[in-house]
Amino acid sequence: MQPFSWAVSPGRLLFVTALLACVPAFAQVGLSGVWADRITEDSYERSGGPPLGDYQGIPLNDAGRMKADSHDHSEWSLPEFQCRPHPGPYQWRALGAVRISEDIDPVSRELRGYHLEYLRSMDRWIYMDGRPHPPEWAPHSWSGFSTGKWEGNMLVVTTTHLKGAYLRRNGASFSDKSTMMEYITRHGDYLLVTMIITDPVWLEEPFIQTTNYEADPHTTLSYYPCTVSEENISKEVPHFLPGKNPNLGADDIPAAGARGGSETIYPEYRKELKGLVAKVNVPSSPTKIAPAAPVADGEIHVLPVQGNVYMLVGAGGNIAASIGPDGILLVDSGRAEMSTKIQSTVLQLATAITASPAPNKCVGLHCPSNPFGWTSPGMNAIIASPAPPKPIRFIVNTSVDADHTGGNEKLSQLPADAKIVGVTFPPVGVAPGATVIAHEAILDRMTQAKAPSDALPTDTYHAASYKLSEFFNGEGIKIYHEPAAHTDGDSIVYFRYSDVIAAGDILNTESYPVIELDKGGSLNGVLDALNNILDIMIPEFRSQGGTWVIPGHGRLCDIGDVANYRNMVAIVRDRIQDMIQRGMTLAQVKAAKPTMDYDGLYGSTTGSWTTDMFVEAAYRSLSQKK
Amino acid sequence: MKYRILLAMAAGLLVGLTAFAHHSLSATYYPDKEVKLEGKILDLLLRNPHSFLQIEAPDDKGVMQRWSLEWRSSGQLGQAGIKRDTLKVGDEVTITMNPSRTPGDHRGALKTLHRKSDGFGWGTNPGETIE
Repeated sequence: MQPFSWAVSPGRLLFVTALLACVPAFAQVGLSGVWADRITEDSYERSGGPPLGDYQGIPLNDAGRMKADSHDHSEWSLPEFQCRPHPGPYQWRALGAVRISEDIDPVSRELRGYHLEYLRSMDRWIYMDGRPHPPEWAPHSWSGFSTGKWEGNMLVVTTTHLKGAYLRRNGASFSDKSTMMEYITRHGDYLLVTMIITDPVWLEEPFIQTTNYEADPHTTLSYYPCTVSEENISKEVPHFLPGKNPNLGADDIPAAGARGGSETIYPEYRKELKGLVAKVNVPSSPTKIAPAAPVADGEIHVLPVQGNVYMLVGAGGNIAASIGPDGILLVDSGRAEMSTKIQSTVLQLATAITASPAPNKCVGLHCPSNPFGWTSPGMNAIIASPAPPKPIRFIVNTSVDADHTGGNEKLSQLPADAKIVGVTFPPVGVAPGATVIAHEAILDRMTQAKAPSDALPTDTYHAASYKLSEFFNGEGIKIYHEPAAHTDGDSIVYFRYSDVIAAGDILNTESYPVIELDKGGSLNGVLDALNNILDIMIPEFRSQGGTWVIPGHGRLCDIGDVANYRNMVAIVRDRIQDMIQRGMTLAQVKAAKPTMDYDGLYGSTTGSWTTDMFVEAAYRSLSQKK
Repeated sequence: MKYRILLAMAAGLLVGLTAFAHHSLSATYYPDKEVKLEGKILDLLLRNPHSFLQIEAPDDKGVMQRWSLEWRSSGQLGQAGIKRDTLKVGDEVTITMNPSRTPGDHRGALKTLHRKSDGFGWGTNPGETIE
């Protein structure tokens, strides 16, 4: 036998080159194809649904347990929830299959992302292109926003911006402050998905779950139609009052284990149930993640919403801005001290949108969009120097609060150095000021408070609704009065073509609703207003997208978010109402903690609107004689 | 052998149909309780993934109520020969249902239906269940 030699020969070089060519540049594994769920894990709780009240193996904290115990499965009959898809964290355990497709850049062959389709959930992207997660004011979805990276042969996926929904279909839930990690590995024809969800609101520590899928090219993802129907005769939000859920403990499950909690997720808990050990030793420092603080960097952030409408964040209250060829319309004007930054931001935005040089997209003599019908040097000069944007023409105030009206005075006037000349009304030569529209109750209160005259509404209305006299930026804009919600002068503004609603302080994803009783507000009025908003909204698909709502504070919302918030208000209302009917005093109601399950989402012990203040306002509002 | 194949095919079909349920029926309705109602049809909402038959009938206190009865999907009912005009507003029917777990709710999962005028019925033959 000839001894091996490292000497390079053309044949060896070719062989090694060929080998190297077969080795992928990354350790990623092909995931494309259809994968079927064989339901080999926890099958008893899956297709038919889990036993009610069984939270075993879910590390619920007390708030999470209270939330789960109030669950009435008839909530699925709510119009907003009838076609609700499974949320991302539950989806792997749902019936059906998943189809995974790779999105490859056709030129560079780089993997840009994975597209996942499920039987009855929303399609989902896992972005692999290095993009960051969205800011906190961006909307949440049922599947969340996912980014991935390969670590060896394991795809690691991070998901944020989830809507709150169920971990198990019996009310055990995760909140919209959750983060989900997925670790996906392929073993031949099998896919192992390890899901870990961390929720600072309803879980004591991360919930971990594994699910297996099998490659199955014969499985199809069939059409799954869903039509919202009049399922339930009742118009109430279905839920059970604390201690009144008849379904708890009904099944043959050890009562202690069924309550869930950290200890029930450890295998040793079986020994505790059998009395073999005194108590499972739970790690002393379960994962606790502080909820993210609202943005407060002193800057104005812009989020394009839909159509003509943009959401401005950071001005105090959120501002909705319609920007287009007719000018600018603002819903609310933020805090007075932010006026200069708001003005600068919207004028820059208007310039970029309506008055920036832009490529001529039509070439030739018959371009309908060109004013002179041809693309001559003269035309190009016009493109290079477009007309300036139109100014702020309207401001609509949704409430009287300083963080919604504070900018009226400054924003209704054009800055002295503004290069805006193209106003059509008032006539050229008259300083163009914006029309400030509000319900007359706001004018009344601002007058009583001796607000500067330039800050006062100039056009008021007193009826149930008000329409702008003509289209603005190509659409009709309608204002609805909510007579007794946050105050008695609240307005919601609906952009009919853009399909966006500015809700003012009737919706606040960072807080319980602020109810100013001394200004005519009421808890039931807030609930009515939220239902009115939901009546206008239509989802794009499966309780998601479609009509967008800009809240007074917090993140951009769709119908699923508004429904979740409305449900919270209704459930808390019913609990406090029940306590009042049972003769409980305000102190007793506060001690009973009727909001405990939602405090991690909307509660506060400091600031201008604490949980205590909300409960007191709700109690007094519901105690008022009708 | 022939019957085994047929049984397997039927089971396969049923498995396919169960995929239409979006919520848990046993979590919404008491599967082990049954309520009988006699009343008149108000509406039939042929929908997916479930249809709803709405009737007017007295509750256990004799007060007339509108009841919403969850039924199979429009496609499943269509395959079973139940169309838009099979049941008419005003038809007098006797139904049995699994009642809602929510106290005071006037809804249920339809188990059987019988029309008095001509004896038309649903729910007593194999496969006539909602999943």
